[in-house]
Amino acid sequence: MSEILLEGHALGVHGEGVSIAPVDFSLARGGRLTLLGETGSGKSLIAQAIMGTLPSGLAASGELTIEGQAYAAAEGATRRALWGRRLALLPQEPWHALDPTMASGAQVAESHRYLRGLGRRRAREAARRDLVGLGLGLADAEGSLPGELSGGMAQRVAFAAASAGGAPLVIADEPTKGLDAPRRDAVVRLLAATPQRGGALLTITHDIEVARRLGGEVILLRRGRVVERGPAERLLSAPRSDYAKRLLEAEPSRWPAPPPPPATCGEPVVEARGLAKWRGGRALFRDLALSLRPGEIVGVVGPSGCGKSTLGDLLLGLTGTDAGEVKRAAGHRLAFQKLYQDPPAAFSPHWSLARLLDDLVRRHRLDRTAIAPLMTRLGLDRELLARRPGEISGGELQRFAILRVLLMEPRFLFADEPTSRLDPITQRDTLALLVELARERHCAVMLVSHDPALIERLCDRRLVLGQGEAVLAPESLDAQAV
Amino acid sequence: MDAINARRFGSRRFPALGAGLGRVLLPRLLQAGLVAWLVGTLTFVLTRTLPGDMAYRIAAGRYGHDMVDGAAAEAVRTELALDQPALLAYLSWLGDLLRLDLGRSLVSGAPVIEELGHLLGHSLGLAAVALLLSLLLGPPLGLAAGLRPGGALDRVSEAVASLLRALPPFALGLLLILLFSVSLGWLPAAGHGRSAHFVLPALTLALALAAVSSRVARHAMVEVSGSAYYAFSRTKGLGERLSFLRHGLRNVALPIVAYLGVQFVTLIEGVVVVETLFAWPGIGHALVHAIVARDLPMIQGTALLMGLLFVALNTGVDLFCHGLDPRRRQP
Repeated sequence: MSEILLEGHALGVHGEGVSIAPVDFSLARGGRLTLLGETGSGKSLIAQAIMGTLPSGLAASGELTIEGQAYAAAEGATRRALWGRRLALLPQEPWHALDPTMASGAQVAESHRYLRGLGRRRAREAARRDLVGLGLGLADAEGSLPGELSGGMAQRVAFAAASAGGAPLVIADEPTKGLDAPRRDAVVRLLAATPQRGGALLTITHDIEVARRLGGEVILLRRGRVVERGPAERLLSAPRSDYAKRLLEAEPSRWPAPPPPPATCGEPVVEARGLAKWRGGRALFRDLALSLRPGEIVGVVGPSGCGKSTLGDLLLGLTGTDAGEVKRAAGHRLAFQKLYQDPPAAFSPHWSLARLLDDLVRRHRLDRTAIAPLMTRLGLDRELLARRPGEISGGELQRFAILRVLLMEPRFLFADEPTSRLDPITQRDTLALLVELARERHCAVMLVSHDPALIERLCDRRLVLGQGEAVLAPESLDAQAV
Repeated sequence: MDAINARRFGSRRFPALGAGLGRVLLPRLLQAGLVAWLVGTLTFVLTRTLPGDMAYRIAAGRYGHDMVDGAAAEAVRTELALDQPALLAYLSWLGDLLRLDLGRSLVSGAPVIEELGHLLGHSLGLAAVALLLSLLLGPPLGLAAGLRPGGALDRVSEAVASLLRALPPFALGLLLILLFSVSLGWLPAAGHGRSAHFVLPALTLALALAAVSSRVARHAMVEVSGSAYYAFSRTKGLGERLSFLRHGLRNVALPIVAYLGVQFVTLIEGVVVVETLFAWPGIGHALVHAIVARDLPMIQGTALLMGLLFVALNTGVDLFCHGLDPRRRQP
């Protein structure tokens, strides 16, 4: 009885260095299908294969049936006529997907005008209704340029623009990338409305929580192969495959507790008082007081753009304060270090890791013998030293970054989303190591993350930014005495 | 309630065309003043430090080289008070400038402002034709190349653009004269008066301008067509033509227009060379002659006019960008 909207028969992708093994799926009206997988599992390629937008060098194989009509997956151009009308693609990063020089309202209205053939005025009214229906204040969004919108608002405008053509089949490619938990949940609710209206939803995500909330069928992918598939409730609570089990265990809420914090002894490593920073006439934070002791792990959470990285730069002395002062404990000049978000960007790409480490050791006259034991601790194989940064995995490279930073015997380490580009399993292992080593070496760590569960699990204290002024969570009161 | 909302969010509306115009014009006005002062002072200092006796040069300019002797030079020196201290001369020139009095030409004796007004018309005509020609040549070619980066058109136009840009304007002008006037005999090599006289000088300037603007357009097109918003516009269902018209054109035009501001340097410096080469009676030509004759008021007036022209043209570019890009109109 239920009408099938989308069917894939042995849909696969192959080409330059990637391949997706043929996969079958079907989506009926009201159906939800989630492709779940870590970065690099090739899940976005499946969306591109369906849309017919695979980059040159990659080719799709197999067949697609969209609303009863059969298409050869390899002939991408055949689906162009469906775009917007039968097949809607919600873009990955809505901020970039909206034309920066056109008002948001107009970008929704043009879909109504050119896809549904409405007149200029009626299209504008329809766009207005869409935006209000998505809970966007009329005056807020309609005339605003995308650059003025928050990430969540941009996501809704992009959703309205993509779905204005009335396509029953919606493909959402990593719709929650870079959003914090509340905004992520709002997007999930928005997506869930499509199947409720009688459409069908295909979501591609790396976020287990998104898959859980959306429900429906889940296909778990790893390195281009289906590892396990089944209803979300079953797969995400009682997985059968080994990989799915490990993946679920890697969710921050299930992490084992970290080693206990050291007794609060020792002078603070870094202290701030009355700290304030303004950006664009708005206070990122003001009157911020904090103090970190050796070996302490403090988490920083808050929405994107709230000044998390700026706080790190202030504490490290890389940028000036607008008010207040930062006091760093006396020590050698390399004692204040930063761990970066994107490991490949933090390494010079053309030299072997051995050479890069060697340069560092010579430049700062470090102890060369410290490298080998640290590599063992970090689970890094000696053979990796001969390779260049681009030739090892992101997880390995981030562990090299940790190694590099620990060689300098830091007393304070600002870790700016150090694992956000890593898959969940690698993330857990990497962070566990970081915490363990920091404790051992009495290095204070400030850990930034957009995942509150992770911070809660790992950190002794938590700093919440983004409410105009910084809020230190209550559990920190004893250590906060400044 | 609605009225309150409307007022409260009034500023969040799409920025009107006139919004933030003061932010564009005010700095430019200040800049114009600064340019006038700096250009005037620099030309003053430079002319004073040129080797040779000014009085002799001016007398030569007035009476011809063969008629000059010590007495004529002395007469000129006394008449023009050339032996007064430099500082005094500078201050009196500055005072005249504040009264918008550019003085009289030392050679012809006519007011500088009249001479310039006449010459400026010729120069602006040439510059406008050259600019128009360059816009017809450069950006369309660049857009076509940018739609297929790495294609035959892209590579050929890149090679030609590099070659044209590497040639100084006088060399390019000479090559054009050799080709079209000497060899083919299609066009006059120099002169002024008929529309055929426009072709070679305007083309010389236009080719140098188009060489750069075609590459700017090409890069802008590659960037825009590879952008997420361009891809989204297509998957949204707008199709190639509508995507280009609604999301491509404006975004591509922005860097091209903005770069025009930089290109005006090429245009103004090109005018001096090209006018001299093609005997075009404009301000560039006049500047060269005034320097030879040490006609200080003319030099200062011409340089001043060119400086202000540069500021005015850039203000025009700013205003155009202001109209094109709503982000610039945000509070």
